[in-house]
Amino acid sequence: MLSGSIAGVGAGLVTIGAGLGIGLVGASAVSGIARQPEMTAKIQVTMLIAAALVEGVALFCAVLCLIGTK
Amino acid sequence: MIQTNVEHAANLVQAKSDAVQAYMMHHMMDSHEWAWLPHLHMKLPHFLTVNGAMVIGVAVLLAVVLGLTARRSQAVPSGLLNVLEFFAKYIRNEMVIPFLGEKDGRKMAPMFCTLFFFILVMNLAGLIPCFYSATANLGVTAALALVTLAFMIFGTIYKNGFVAFCKGFVPPGIPKAMLVMIVPIEVLSMFIRTMALAIRLFANMLAGHLVIYSLLGMIVMFGFYAAPALLGALGIYLLEVFVAFLQAYIFTLLSAIFIGERYHPAH
Repeated sequence: MLSGSIAGVGAGLVTIGAGLGIGLVGASAVSGIARQPEMTAKIQVTMLIAAALVEGVALFCAVLCLIGTK
Repeated sequence: MIQTNVEHAANLVQAKSDAVQAYMMHHMMDSHEWAWLPHLHMKLPHFLTVNGAMVIGVAVLLAVVLGLTARRSQAVPSGLLNVLEFFAKYIRNEMVIPFLGEKDGRKMAPMFCTLFFFILVMNLAGLIPCFYSATANLGVTAALALVTLAFMIFGTIYKNGFVAFCKGFVPPGIPKAMLVMIVPIEVLSMFIRTMALAIRLFANMLAGHLVIYSLLGMIVMFGFYAAPALLGALGIYLLEVFVAFLQAYIFTLLSAIFIGERYHPAH
């Protein structure tokens, strides 16, 4: 029937989490910029920091899935 | 035994997919053989691997080019000096001084500029056709993250003393009962954040190369029917250039934040 490793399913789930997380961060950053355009630079830096941290977790699990297919 | 046409085609695709996978494994992992072109391999001596040679090459190149450029500093810079000054000024004013304070920021700004330019050029070198990207190797990124960790631990002990280093793990305004749980988590988070720095950079660089190799491998496996994969590969290639800059910026920024948290704990 189905063959292969279940680590692929795990990698797909990690992608859902990463997409949701970074999308939420981006959404609140955009709404913050819409409210106060003069704080754009600070909000952008904060958004990048939060996005990098969320993406770090996602990529950590992606690496685990890559190792898990052995 | 007699195969039907469909089985024969499937076996061919399977054989090609195995060949593509072998090519990808060979090119994304470290080895002692530099593959300039598919039929032009160069053997390296036993103490040097491909990624190690790229690290040394990029370091020598940066030392020579940036050293010579900074030597002839003019009142109104132009050319490469202008670009370097733009980056260095941005790193010092927007990335280091907000998190490390004025005095420490000016003292440590060269260290962060070194990290930034080194990681940036290593990331970009992987995108040039015959070269490898050293940051796609967990050992190289772990070494860079260990530099940050050394500053976080030994720099704080040297600057503030060992007692202040230990007191920096205790956040202010926590009731005594919860401290037993919070302090080990803070200590552990110091190490986990360093590990995350290394893995983030490594996984970003590796994933970019993996996707490009997979898309181009589809052309090998399926022939002309996979022609649109070329557009996809070109798009991912451009995204990778952006990701190279972004990951260098994120690494330096997060290093500055973590070191600033240790040097000036929030009291």
